[in-house]
Amino acid sequence: MEFMPNFRLHRPSQLTDAIAAKAEAESLYLAGGTDMLVNVRRGIEQPKHLVDLSAVAELKRRRDDADGLTLGSGLTLAEIAADDVIAARYPAVAQAARAVAGPTHQAYGTLGGNLCLDTRCLFYNQSEWWRKSNDYCLKERGDICHVAPGGKRCFAAFSGDVAPALIVYDAEVTLTGPDGTRRIPLEKLYRNDGMAHLTLKPGEILAAVHLPATHAGDPSSYEKARIRGSIDFPLAGVAVRLKLAADGTVADLAVALTAVNPYPHRITGTDAYKGKRLDTALLDALRDQVRKQAKPMRTTTVAPWYRRRVVGAIARRLTAELAGFTE
Amino acid sequence: MNEMTKPTGRVKSIGVPQPLVDGPEKVSGKALYSADFIPAGCLVGRILRSPVAHAEILGVDVTAARALPGVIAVITGEDCDETYGVLPIARHEYPLARDKVRYRGEPVACVAAVDVETAQAALDLIVFTYKELPAYFTAQEAMAEGAVLLHDFKPGNIERDVDYEIGSVDAGFAEADLVLEHTYNCPEICQVQSEPHAAIAEYDSERDFMTVRASTQVPYYVHLMLAKTLKMDQSRIRMIKPHIGGGFGCRTECLNVELICALAAKAAKGTVRLVVSREETFITHRGRPETDVKMKIGMTKDGKITAVDFSCIQRGGAYSGYGIVTILYAGSLIFGIYDFANCRYKGLRVLTNTPPPGAMRGHGTVNVRYAFESCFDEMCATLGLDPIVARRRNLLVAPTFSANDLWINSYGLGQCLDWVEQKSGWKDRRGKLGPYRGLGIACAHYPSGASKPVNWTGEPHATIHLKLDWDGSITILTGAPEIGQGSSTVITQCVAETLGLDMSRLQIVTSDSKLTPKDNGAYSSRITYMVGNAAIDAANNLKKILIEAAAKKLDAKPEDIECLGEVYRAASQDKGLDWKEVVMAALEGTGTLTIKGNFDTLPQSHGTKKYRGGAIGGSMAYAYAAEVVEVEIDPDTCEVHVVKIWAAQDVGKALNPLAVEGQIQGSAWMGMGQALSEGTTYHKGLMISGSMLDYRVPTIMESPPIETGIIESIDPHGPFGAKEAGETSLAAFIPALTSAIADALDGLRPYDLPVTPDKLMALMEKAETGHDDDLAAAE
Repeated sequence: MEFMPNFRLHRPSQLTDAIAAKAEAESLYLAGGTDMLVNVRRGIEQPKHLVDLSAVAELKRRRDDADGLTLGSGLTLAEIAADDVIAARYPAVAQAARAVAGPTHQAYGTLGGNLCLDTRCLFYNQSEWWRKSNDYCLKERGDICHVAPGGKRCFAAFSGDVAPALIVYDAEVTLTGPDGTRRIPLEKLYRNDGMAHLTLKPGEILAAVHLPATHAGDPSSYEKARIRGSIDFPLAGVAVRLKLAADGTVADLAVALTAVNPYPHRITGTDAYKGKRLDTALLDALRDQVRKQAKPMRTTTVAPWYRRRVVGAIARRLTAELAGFTE
Repeated sequence: MNEMTKPTGRVKSIGVPQPLVDGPEKVSGKALYSADFIPAGCLVGRILRSPVAHAEILGVDVTAARALPGVIAVITGEDCDETYGVLPIARHEYPLARDKVRYRGEPVACVAAVDVETAQAALDLIVFTYKELPAYFTAQEAMAEGAVLLHDFKPGNIERDVDYEIGSVDAGFAEADLVLEHTYNCPEICQVQSEPHAAIAEYDSERDFMTVRASTQVPYYVHLMLAKTLKMDQSRIRMIKPHIGGGFGCRTECLNVELICALAAKAAKGTVRLVVSREETFITHRGRPETDVKMKIGMTKDGKITAVDFSCIQRGGAYSGYGIVTILYAGSLIFGIYDFANCRYKGLRVLTNTPPPGAMRGHGTVNVRYAFESCFDEMCATLGLDPIVARRRNLLVAPTFSANDLWINSYGLGQCLDWVEQKSGWKDRRGKLGPYRGLGIACAHYPSGASKPVNWTGEPHATIHLKLDWDGSITILTGAPEIGQGSSTVITQCVAETLGLDMSRLQIVTSDSKLTPKDNGAYSSRITYMVGNAAIDAANNLKKILIEAAAKKLDAKPEDIECLGEVYRAASQDKGLDWKEVVMAALEGTGTLTIKGNFDTLPQSHGTKKYRGGAIGGSMAYAYAAEVVEVEIDPDTCEVHVVKIWAAQDVGKALNPLAVEGQIQGSAWMGMGQALSEGTTYHKGLMISGSMLDYRVPTIMESPPIETGIIESIDPHGPFGAKEAGETSLAAFIPALTSAIADALDGLRPYDLPVTPDKLMALMEKAETGHDDDLAAAE
C-alpha cells in the first residue's frame, strides 16, 4: 500500500456544515472510504480536504411509512444486509449489500458510498507510478483511452452492487446541496460516461434513498459474477424483480445490470413479457436481450465476451428461480 | 536453578503435535518484523523505478533531488558497479540499473530522506533520460530472429538451453499402445506472502560497520551479496533476519531491496528503512515463470509408461536469478516418482523484458508435473484404465536409483494412493457423481533439500550450536531461518527428543550472523532434513558430555549411565543426579559449554553425469503425495467450486504432525490458487495485477475442507526418518483438479491455467457448438 498523503480532515455533525466544508477547494466527501481512500493513496484523488460524513446523524436515519422505506445514505452495507424489513420487502437490496466485497468492507462501506462509487478500469485503478508510466488516461490527466485507443469516450465500468437492486424497485434519491434539496429517480443519478458518471451538482450529497411501497414484497434477487466469492468487484451483476399473475403469466418484470456499462443499466423492453407465460422460450429471449444491452469493455482482466455471456445467463437463471420454473 | 522440578523420565516430543515455539508472540502481535525496527533518526528510503521496459540509460540527473532540504542521500547505478545474483555463474544484476533498464519497475535510483513526503518529492525531481529499445514480453518475441539482446553475452536471448536423452525414447514409443501429446500453458504466478519486502540498514561510519535486518529466507546469501555490493569485508557486516511474514521462495535469493537499503544507508552515513509497497513486492517478483510444457507420453494398454518426451519454454524475465536451476529441475525431476527409463528433455529459459521470476514453492517441478499427470490421466481415460490402478503399475521399489540417478531410499507413494482412494470413496464415486460433478486424482514429489550448497565452500552442509550454561538452560543457536514454516520448532524437537528433555528446557536463537552459525537458508525444503540431522548430532554430542560428567560424579562407567531426561543415574536403584547436578558436573572446571553438531549429505545423493539437474545436486530423500479433488461446476457461469480435497503425503516421519498437517493443507491450497484464479497480467510489460484485488489469491469462500493423510515411510537417513513436508502437495492439486473437471464434463478437459470461468466457458461452448470462432466474433 502506498503512503497516505497529507490532507485536512473535517468531521461535521450537521449536514449543512458538511456542505459548507465541501465548499473548500479540492475537497471530497468521505463515507466508508473503502474504495476512495485506496484511490487517494494511489494519487488518483489528491484532496486537500476530506469531509468525513460519519458523524452526520441525519444521514443514518431510517424511516418506514406508507410511502415506503427511506434509508439514510450513511447506513452501512452491513446494516442494509441485516435489515429484516429490507430482506422481506426488497430482498435483492439486502442480497446486493451482502455481495459487496467482504464483511469488513460491508462494516465500513455505506449505502451512499456504494451508489456514488467511482467507475473502475484496469488502466485507472493503479498506482501513480503505473499510470504515469502508461501516460495516464482519458479519465485522469491523460488524453488517450487504453481500452479503446483512438476513442474519446471513457468506458470505465460502474461496479456498485446495490444500485441495480434499487433500480428494479424504482428507487429515488434525495440530493442535498448548496442550492437546496431535490429528489430524482436513482436511474437519473447516472449517465453513460465513465469520466463523469454521476449527475450530482457541485457540493451535493446523496442524503437518502427511497424505496417506494409500490413494488414492496415483489420477489427479487441479485447475483454477481466474480472470480472469487469474496473481495472481488462484480464482473457482471444482475438484479431481477418478477411479479407473476395468479394465472402464472408475467405481471411485471424488471431487470437491471451493473459492471457491464459505465452506469447501472435498466434493461429496456421487458414490458413485452407482460401477460406471457414464463417458459424456456421467454427465458432465452430475456437472456439474449440482456446480452445485447450489456456493453462490457476490456476494463477488467476478464474477457468482455465472458461478462456479456454470463450477465445473460445470470439474468435467465434468476428469473427462472423467482418463477419457480424448472426445465 | 532453584525452581527446578525433577521429572524422572524421558519426555517425548517427536511425533507429538506441537504448537510452534514462536507462536505466542506472533498471534499476540508482539513479534517484530523488519519494518517494525524504527530507531530514532531513521531515514525513509524510496525507490525510483523505470517507467519503460527496455532502454539504454542516457542519464539519471539527481542534482535537484539532492538539493531538496531533508534529502540526505540519493544513489543511482553510479554508486554500485558490483553485480549480484544467487548463482555464482549468473550474477548479472545490479542493485540499481546501470547502462540499461530491462523491465518496467527496475530500480533506477533511491532517495534517503527525513520523511516519506520529502523522499517522494525528491524522486519527482530526478530526471531519468533514456533511449528506448524494442521490448519483448513473450518468450517467442524474445527468441525471434533479429531480436535485440537483453544481455550482450546471451545470444538469442537464451539464458539456458538444455537438451538430453536418457535411455532410448524412440524404442520406448515403439513399445507403446498409445502415445499422446499435448501442450499445457501455465501462466506466471507470484507468492503473495503476507509481508511486503522490507529492510533496515544501520551504517556506523565511525567503525565502518553495517547492520542489516531484512525479510529474507537466506540471510547468509544476503550477507555475501551485501559484502560484494558494498565492497565491505564480510566481517564488518552483521546480518539479522527478524520474524518474517512468509516467503514461499520469493526470498530464497538476495533481493535488490536489501542491497539498495544498505547502499543508501552507507551513502547517508546513517540508518535507512526501506519498506516497499505490495505492488513493488509483486514487481520484485521471483515467482513461478510462465511455462509452456509440451508433454508426450507412451503407454502400454495396461498403463505402463514406456517413454516420455517433453519440452519446457520458460519466460525467464530480464535476469537469471535461480532461472538456470529452474529449467534444469524442470527436466531432472520428471524422474524419481514413477518407474520408467526412457526420457528426452528440451528446456529453454528465455530472457524477456518482464520482472525476473524465481524459485517458488515446488521450484521447477510444478508445471511439468501438471502436464505429466494430466497427460497420464487423459491416456488412462482413452485406454479405459482407472488412473489409480494405472499409477500402481508404475511405482518404484525403494531403495533404488532412478534412471537419472536420483537416490531413493524411502517411497510411500503406493500408501498415499491407497489412502486417497479409500478416503474419497473413489471406487464407488468416480464417474458417478452426476452432471457437473467430478473426482480427479494426481500425484507429485519433491526433494528434501538440494544435496550441495549453491556456494561450494567445503563446510558441512548444516551446523548447529548448543550452549549449555550455569542456569541450566540450553540455547540452540542456528542460522536456519524460521520463516513461518516451523523450522525452529522442529529443531527444538530434535534436540529435546535426543536428550529426552521437555521442550521448555530449550530456547532457540536464529539467524543473526554475529551469534548463530552460518546456514544456507530456508529453501528447497532442506531445513528439517539437513539442520534436523545436525541438531540430533549436536544433542548427541552434548549428551555424551553429560553422561561422562555424570559417570565421573557417580563413579561409574559412561556406558552404565542412563539418561532419563533431567535425571542421569548409574543403575535403576540409583537416585542419580538431577538436572542441576549433572549440568554443574559438566561445567565444572570448563565453564559454559558450546557444543557443535554437523550434517553432511552422502555422495550417493549428489547425482552422477546422468542427473543433469544442476550443480546443487540431487537430494538425500524425496517426499511423495497423492491427492483427490472433488469439484462441482456451475453450468451457467462456468465457475468451478472445489467441494473437497483429500491429500496424502509421505513425509517419512511427521516430526510435528500439527505443522505437517498445516503444510500439506497450505500446499494444496496454494496449488488451488494457481489452478483456479492466480496469474500475473501485463500491459506492455506493466504489471496490471500488482495488487491483492487484481491478483486473485483464493479467499476463505473458495477454501474447501482438506482432509490430510500423513504417510510415514521412515527414511533411513532422515532425522527420525523425516523428509520434506512443505512443498510436495502443491503440484498434485493442479492436475487432480483438471482430472476432476474432465470427470464432471464427460471428458472435456482444460489444458491452460488458471481454469477461470471465462476459459472454461469458452471450452464448454466450443465443445457444444464444435467451433470457437463465435466468441471472437462476438467482440
